[in-house]
Amino acid sequence: MHDNVTDQSKDITMLELLDRVLTKGVILSGDIVISVADIDLVYVGVKLLLSSVETMEQLKAGKPIIL
Amino acid sequence: MEKMIYSILSAKRNPEKLNALLVGMKGISDSDLCAVSFDEITAIVSDFKRADLIADRSNAIEYAGVIENLAQQFTVLPMRYGSVMESAELINKMLERNYHEFQQNLQKVENKYEFGLKIFCDSEKLKSELRIKSEADIQTPEKPATGIKNSVYKDYVDKKLKEHRLEELMLTYVDSVIAKITGYLDRLNTINKFKKMASDTNIIDAVFLLDKERKDALIHVTEDLKNQYPVLNFVLTGPWPPYNFVEIAIK
Repeated sequence: MHDNVTDQSKDITMLELLDRVLTKGVILSGDIVISVADIDLVYVGVKLLLSSVETMEQLKAGKPIIL
Repeated sequence: MEKMIYSILSAKRNPEKLNALLVGMKGISDSDLCAVSFDEITAIVSDFKRADLIADRSNAIEYAGVIENLAQQFTVLPMRYGSVMESAELINKMLERNYHEFQQNLQKVENKYEFGLKIFCDSEKLKSELRIKSEADIQTPEKPATGIKNSVYKDYVDKKLKEHRLEELMLTYVDSVIAKITGYLDRLNTINKFKKMASDTNIIDAVFLLDKERKDALIHVTEDLKNQYPVLNFVLTGPWPPYNFVEIAIK
């Protein structure tokens, strides 16, 4: 049980980190377009709905991230 | 050569410390880090080949790691992953164009940490408990005003009405938890952002910005809250660089 909780906390922390670095922070607007391929972005070990997951879905769908 | 930008900071008080830090760190794909400055504002960058930029987990973690290391020594404005400019000269001009905005934001987050608080629950169980507590309020009247008697329509309306009332109960409960949290956090002088019902199980998704020296107080507050709400699962993460509190779209 304890290990399970610990694992979930690690997963959440990892999702939190990816959520921040991929979708928050200072945005550089303009002409930068990143094409994304070979997606192995987020391991969803817990049932969460985070924007990083939404980002992952966008990436899986082959949509570029426009910054 | 193109440059990947990791964060913006002010190193005016200790440029030697920044240089020493950069020498000991690496950017994405083992690249060297360097500083591009305009007056007191500095961008931390590395050389970068566009073909190398794959938004995979390891690259994103490396990128976040650079920002994290810088944030331990300086007040930083973290850039979003994938921020690239064509040259150091263009970065220098960008710093000049956005100088005052960077300064204002650096002042806002100076000596502060960001924390995340996610509150989870078994929503079905919680709804069931809320329903029992408010049983009298959510009962459908014997004779509804519509005059619809026993019929499939009445069953449908009753069902929808109960669902609606249950959602309202849930939102009222979430609001009460948020009010309790903000009551505690007022003492810590935090800046807060709350998102309600981020998912079925994640009923509150919050971020706080608070003074670095108040980190332990926040942890104690979270422990107190956990004890008050045994049916809820609190997950506090951080300290983070202030990703959620830099609202700049730079030009």
